[in-house]
Amino acid sequence: MQMNTVAAPRREIDLFRHATDRVVAGVAGGIANRLGVPTGYVRAGFVVLSLLWGLGLVAYVALWMATFEKVEDRPPRLIDNPRQLGLGMMFVGGLLLFRTVGWWPGDLPMVIVTTLAFGLAVLSDFDWLSRLFDPHAARPSKLRVGFGVVMLLAGLVALAGALSQLRTLGGVTLAVLITLAGVVMVFGPWLVSLGRALTTERRERIRQEERAEMAAHLHDSVLQTLALMQRTDDPKRIVTLARQQERELRAWLYGADTGPNGQRFAAALEEAASRVEADFDLPVEVVTVGDTALDDTTRAVVAAAGEAMVNAAKHSGAAEVSVYAEVADGRVDVWVADQGKGFDSGSVPPDRRGLQDSIRGRMARAGGGAEIDARPGEGTEVHVWAPLAGEEGESR
Amino acid sequence: MIRLFLVDDHALFLSGVKAEFEDMADRFEIVGTASDVDDAIEGIRETDPDVVLIDVHMPGGGGLAVINSVTETNPDVTFLALSVSDAAEDVIAMIRAGARGYVTKSIGSEELAEAIERVHGGDAVFSPRLAGFVLDAFAHGLPQPADPELDQLTPREKEVLRLIARGYPYKQVARRLSISIKTVETHVSSVLRKLQLSNRYELTRWASDRRIV
Repeated sequence: MQMNTVAAPRREIDLFRHATDRVVAGVAGGIANRLGVPTGYVRAGFVVLSLLWGLGLVAYVALWMATFEKVEDRPPRLIDNPRQLGLGMMFVGGLLLFRTVGWWPGDLPMVIVTTLAFGLAVLSDFDWLSRLFDPHAARPSKLRVGFGVVMLLAGLVALAGALSQLRTLGGVTLAVLITLAGVVMVFGPWLVSLGRALTTERRERIRQEERAEMAAHLHDSVLQTLALMQRTDDPKRIVTLARQQERELRAWLYGADTGPNGQRFAAALEEAASRVEADFDLPVEVVTVGDTALDDTTRAVVAAAGEAMVNAAKHSGAAEVSVYAEVADGRVDVWVADQGKGFDSGSVPPDRRGLQDSIRGRMARAGGGAEIDARPGEGTEVHVWAPLAGEEGESR
Repeated sequence: MIRLFLVDDHALFLSGVKAEFEDMADRFEIVGTASDVDDAIEGIRETDPDVVLIDVHMPGGGGLAVINSVTETNPDVTFLALSVSDAAEDVIAMIRAGARGYVTKSIGSEELAEAIERVHGGDAVFSPRLAGFVLDAFAHGLPQPADPELDQLTPREKEVLRLIARGYPYKQVARRLSISIKTVETHVSSVLRKLQLSNRYELTRWASDRRIV
């Protein structure tokens, strides 16, 4: 990251025009950089001097011609903040208009008023409207506060004098309002940043607690599993351990945990899958869409799907079992598929018929159904479904 | 011959995948590998590969940062996200940033090779998990979709995604629906397009959490 201010090299002429911090040619930016003061003060100085017989303007042009632009590798922007320039132009334009129309109390009061305005502006770094409510505003420097207060007082004294001469009724109210505005401007950003510091502190504390909790969890789960894996020679066992740990970690990270009313359907299905995985050393990939509470019906669905997974793991010879569950439109569907050897529905071995019947029977009792789709050489898919009782299916 | 670039912060995984592809030297050429975000951006810009295989989680902004920077300079590079186990929002954010697909690291090497060829051919690759995420994100019909063309899946697209979520390869999805593989690919690509362009609440929320919109 490139720093905004570039330290001026100690040479005979070390005043440069600032390539990036500039409104017109960067003269003010360069001076500010050289003197180590905020650019705003220098700009205010130039403008105020300009009001005195155009001195500032002459000085600016002279310095412009006498200095070189400092080359930076950042592309220069002509105007750092167009809104600031716009405000300045509106202000100068207004002054010219008043002078032309004849509403001009004389040069001295106008210089006082202008000084007051620029005091306020410098006080809030030329961006006072947005700075006033900006939570990112830094604590104002002592110099800034002091300068602003002096400017305010001077302006108020001048204003009060002018107003008492004019015997305006609203004069007092106006003076009070301006003072209040000044107070807000001086201390507002500081109060905001104070509040912010408190929030940051609290957030940091919460973060530290979370980190401690996470470290504890990782130690109990992942590190233990890793240690276990280092002591295991059987590659199948390593895969199983890794998958079990992955599933557990995923559940912990992405919140497939138990709800207030006990375990949820998707978590129960994941658990059934992880049991099959552990018992048969075979990956079971579970994808769920939506979730619902675990009641008698959905428990039956999980049990039936679990049996189908066991079947697939035992008989299919596939390298992986896919489980897809969908909770939507008042029903729950689970498909348990493998890309294994499948079988001919006509010649089902008796032991498998029994399991099929147990899946079918279980689903029938739950008010749902089961369908088994198998073709020799093309894998098997068991589809179980049941209507949801009370609670509608809900998205994650 | 597809010119391949691998990005993964796990050195072991990187060398494993590299070895697998070296066995398929007639189909793939590995033009470079990187194990962090900055190296990846620089390396991809230098080598201008056809396909980048990219990890979702990496220090320094993750795969998302790589995709966002590279697509600015090299819009023709295709990304395939490859990861272990991720939250839906991370994966959806990768897709919305421009990845043509998402597969899990447990994928077999031949399936991975096919997936790379598929994204290189301009199609999308959805793993069962990604299909599940997408079905979830588009689960509820909006009462008044802002853009019905983008904010909803057609019944056919849902059917295709469901079959993918059920673990079927494209070939079997096609056979089960009595359509051609090309049509399956078209449906999946159109879902990918919706995923990238739709402003559905669920999708924009995921994306804005990751600050890519």
